[in-house]
Amino acid sequence: MPTPFYPSEFPILSALIFSPLAAAVIAVLLRSDRALRWWSFLSTLVIALVSLPLFWQFDARTADFQFREHAAWIPWLKINYTLGVDGISVLLVLLTTLLMPLCVLCSWRYIKARVREFMICLLVMETAMLGVFCALDFILFFVFWEAMLIPMTLLIAVWGGPRKIYAALKFFIYTMAGSVLLLVAIIALYLQVGSFDIRQMMGRPYSENFQCWVFLAFFLSFAIKVPMFPFHTWLPAAHVEAPTAGSVLLAGVLLKMGAYGFLRFCLPITPQATHLFTPWMIALSLIGILYGGLTALAQSDLKKLVAYSSVGHMGFCTLGIFALNKDGLDGAILVMINHGVTTSALFIAVGLLYERLHTRELSQAAGLGKFMPVFITFFGVFCLSSMAFPGTNSFIGEFLVLVGGLAWSPWLALALAPGVVLAAAYMLRLLQKVTWGSTNNPRHNGLQDLELREVAALAPLLVLVFWIGLKPAPIARIMEASVKNLLQQVNGAPAKMVANDPTRDSAGRPNNRASWALAEVLTPNQTP
Amino acid sequence: MSDLWLHPASALILGALLLPLIPARLKKVWLLAVPIAAFALNTIMPPGVHGQWQFLDWTLTFGRVDRLASVFGHIMSLISIVATLYGLHVKEDAQHIAAWIYAGAALGAVYAGDFLTLFLFWEMMAFSSVFLVWFRRRKESPAAGYRYLLVHMAGGVCLLAGIVLHASTPGSSFAFEAFEVSKMTPASWLVLIGFLVNGAVPPFHAWLPDAYGEGTFNGSIFLCTYTTKTAVYALCRGFAGLDLLVPLGVAMALYGVVYAVLENDSRRLLAYHIISQVGYMVAAVGLGTEMAINGACAHAFANILYKGLLFMGCGAVLHMTGQSKFTELGGLYQKMPWTFLLTLIGGLSISAFPLTAGFVAKSMIVAAGFEAHNLWAAFLLMLASVGTFLHTGLKVPYFIFFGKNHCRPETWERAAEPPWNMMTAMAISAFLCLFVGCYTPYLYDLLPHPVHYHPYTAYHLSETLQMLLFTAVSFFLFLKKLEPEPTISLDLDWPYRKGGRMFLWLAQKPVQFADNCLGEFYRVGGIAGLMGSARLAGWFDGRVIDGVVDGLAEAVRKLGQRLRPVQRGAVQENLTLAFALGAALLIVLWLVW
Repeated sequence: MPTPFYPSEFPILSALIFSPLAAAVIAVLLRSDRALRWWSFLSTLVIALVSLPLFWQFDARTADFQFREHAAWIPWLKINYTLGVDGISVLLVLLTTLLMPLCVLCSWRYIKARVREFMICLLVMETAMLGVFCALDFILFFVFWEAMLIPMTLLIAVWGGPRKIYAALKFFIYTMAGSVLLLVAIIALYLQVGSFDIRQMMGRPYSENFQCWVFLAFFLSFAIKVPMFPFHTWLPAAHVEAPTAGSVLLAGVLLKMGAYGFLRFCLPITPQATHLFTPWMIALSLIGILYGGLTALAQSDLKKLVAYSSVGHMGFCTLGIFALNKDGLDGAILVMINHGVTTSALFIAVGLLYERLHTRELSQAAGLGKFMPVFITFFGVFCLSSMAFPGTNSFIGEFLVLVGGLAWSPWLALALAPGVVLAAAYMLRLLQKVTWGSTNNPRHNGLQDLELREVAALAPLLVLVFWIGLKPAPIARIMEASVKNLLQQVNGAPAKMVANDPTRDSAGRPNNRASWALAEVLTPNQTP
Repeated sequence: MSDLWLHPASALILGALLLPLIPARLKKVWLLAVPIAAFALNTIMPPGVHGQWQFLDWTLTFGRVDRLASVFGHIMSLISIVATLYGLHVKEDAQHIAAWIYAGAALGAVYAGDFLTLFLFWEMMAFSSVFLVWFRRRKESPAAGYRYLLVHMAGGVCLLAGIVLHASTPGSSFAFEAFEVSKMTPASWLVLIGFLVNGAVPPFHAWLPDAYGEGTFNGSIFLCTYTTKTAVYALCRGFAGLDLLVPLGVAMALYGVVYAVLENDSRRLLAYHIISQVGYMVAAVGLGTEMAINGACAHAFANILYKGLLFMGCGAVLHMTGQSKFTELGGLYQKMPWTFLLTLIGGLSISAFPLTAGFVAKSMIVAAGFEAHNLWAAFLLMLASVGTFLHTGLKVPYFIFFGKNHCRPETWERAAEPPWNMMTAMAISAFLCLFVGCYTPYLYDLLPHPVHYHPYTAYHLSETLQMLLFTAVSFFLFLKKLEPEPTISLDLDWPYRKGGRMFLWLAQKPVQFADNCLGEFYRVGGIAGLMGSARLAGWFDGRVIDGVVDGLAEAVRKLGQRLRPVQRGAVQENLTLAFALGAALLIVLWLVW
């Protein structure tokens, strides 16, 4: 057992969740923009550092929720303030806290008006996002789920691009429409179970009919968030119009909430319905992957291109989830983390370009490699990561999803191959044009390369790209027990590989050397 | 001795990578400090096996330090100081970075305990040294560097093939130990070829004069030191006693001498002469006795010193006048007397004049030959010494600094003593040549095997002086015949240059045509279709899906607009409407139930 970092019984999760709110309150009192920026950066940095020991303190041997806190909130409605993280949510919490300081850094010069309100929005968003991942009471979850809509809408509507009102409203109403059904499902479950505690709702023998309706209600809400085809059109609009920090949070964290919702609620609470709807979900994921890839290929707006690539990547994520085997789930969670890292980095990079060029047109950005070599280095690595180049983080996740999909059906893996190729196509096209396109653009001559602040915003993500890519075992170790437990809950049997798995031998080891090697890499160390 | 062990190469490589970050004022200090640090690290390194690293299935040994490796490591790190000092005034960071990475890689190769590490550094040497050729930036430089790289890559592939074959045979591993020279397998032949390519052993030697003559004035010092001597070390380690190497080495020695005499360009002459000198070392490795190996190491040590000095001298002339051909030089003694003196010391040293390094080193090989009763080898090597003195000891200093003045006016104007750092570097090398020659324990204590050789015997002195003086007499007698002429010597690079051209034609015409056809097909059939689908998908997304979503929102908005007139602000109308609706609802409910 690692030595305790946090004092025992210290409510670390509450501290993490509400510290940004406290920082926001203090930000109200600050006057100068400079002080606000520094205060926001330092507070989010401190929160990120304080959250780091969650990684080491987490006991990976058990699937129980850890760092639990419990307090009665509204006793007469049986609504409690319950927090806890398991292997899946702790990774997402860490992702969120990591991305926040980078958001502040990349907004340093981007946001010139109403800096105080902007920083307050960011900090309140952090509270809401962390709350979503930590909540173990459904109403608490729902409160945080809805709470994050407002700062995000404000971020888009106040500091966004030309069509910001349209994009903000679309995002808000679309997501809220889904959430309404989520609330209906929550209340239906409460009426069945008699409590809002999520853990108590899992593993109950609901009727299949009931499960289907609840699943559909959940599905609509989370599918809009993920976003799955055909509920994805709010994403390009929101991403294009949002400021850089907004896009980073949207792509880095908010999209993960949809997938997290599937993992946390759909699979364990309505397992039979999950099995029933799996073919549809996989079909939609597959369409999302191919569709996202095709539309990304057609884009000339840099941000829209990355937005559609997000649709594709999250398609991989949901595909992995609904493959309902260990590889798929492992892969899906890794895709979530990796997508959070890589796409956030891409949005930061595109934001840096926008600050210099004041346009997001690919044709205007073509040929920058000659003038901004440091930027292109970062950008190139992130593009490679986005197309799941081996050695980078995304490769591990997508590969596992492919293996999981293959276990579900060999035709699925065949259908996925064009998706991977499409990802390479649009990313390489983007990278090639930006790095080596025609250099006749006179506006490129005076361009400044990255300064220290901007490098500091991208460097941690670069490190993570290679770290997770070359040594994913620590992360896989954390989520191991929770994933096994989830499989048990959804399959109703001890977690073992899907029968008739063509890729594994009788001992359950993968047949080919590549996935054996990968499995070796991912196998957690057997330390007590 | 602490457990912390730092590879001397790490100082050079790290120093190279950090060089761009050093501010301009401190650059010269850094340029001197880094090789000195490497030399210091090399000196304090205790013998043994250090730096082992487990990588996947293999154990990589970065620091196998024994006497054989140490003597090479010693001189290589020492010469890196001198060579960097020589190029201290070069402002282009990239040249220093390339040179240091090259030197570091050579040190890494010398101390490598297993083949994988050796190969890693072998390739690193090739890829960093090519830049020292390219940086000269003449019209011919890109091509020369490219040929150099191609040859070294071919050699590297051979080496890798040999390593892999060798390691996959049962009973052997990746450890870099001596091969069974009596039982040469295809694997050991391939490894041998890999080593021979780097050692510029004919028929794989044509790259050396090609590239070394084309290198930058300071880059050539590095070039002449590392690649060939690393190959000699590798041969010493792996193939000591292989009989084939004796005739090969002797042939090399003579071959190099003959071509050197024919050369017009002073640096190409020196480059051909490297082939000759390495021939001595290869022959010594072939002899395989303790004295022979000692001789090979001693000669490598001394050769680095005086060959470096000679390249420095000719490099100084090149740097100051812009010329290196004898037909463009002459009579420079008046302008560059000290350069002449130091070059002369180098020339005498390479000719094995008494009191110089060559005397105590080269002769060990010949003595080993006699001792092994290999009389043909020993006598032929002595003959090669005659040639050596002829061209390097006499021709080079004479036709550059004395003789007929072929200098053009602008060349003459430019000629002057080189800057202080170049003079100091040359002086240090010259001093070391003389020091090693006079105080033999410095060199002999470094040699791998115990030394039972005494160079300063009356017989040896008289034999050497006889040969040298008669060579000098014949030089001056045949001076007219030895006048430099602007010629191009046709060497074994002709076949592969021509062959390369033919291959290029093949690639450019037929193969390119086929590829173009395929590309057109791909563009028309594949890409157009893909981009068409992509645009269709984009249109679909914007018009159809968004149309539904936005259309829905628009419909709701319109409905709201339609309903707005219902609220006109008059309270009685609102109340009436509300009550009417409530009543209707109650009636419906009452009817249903």
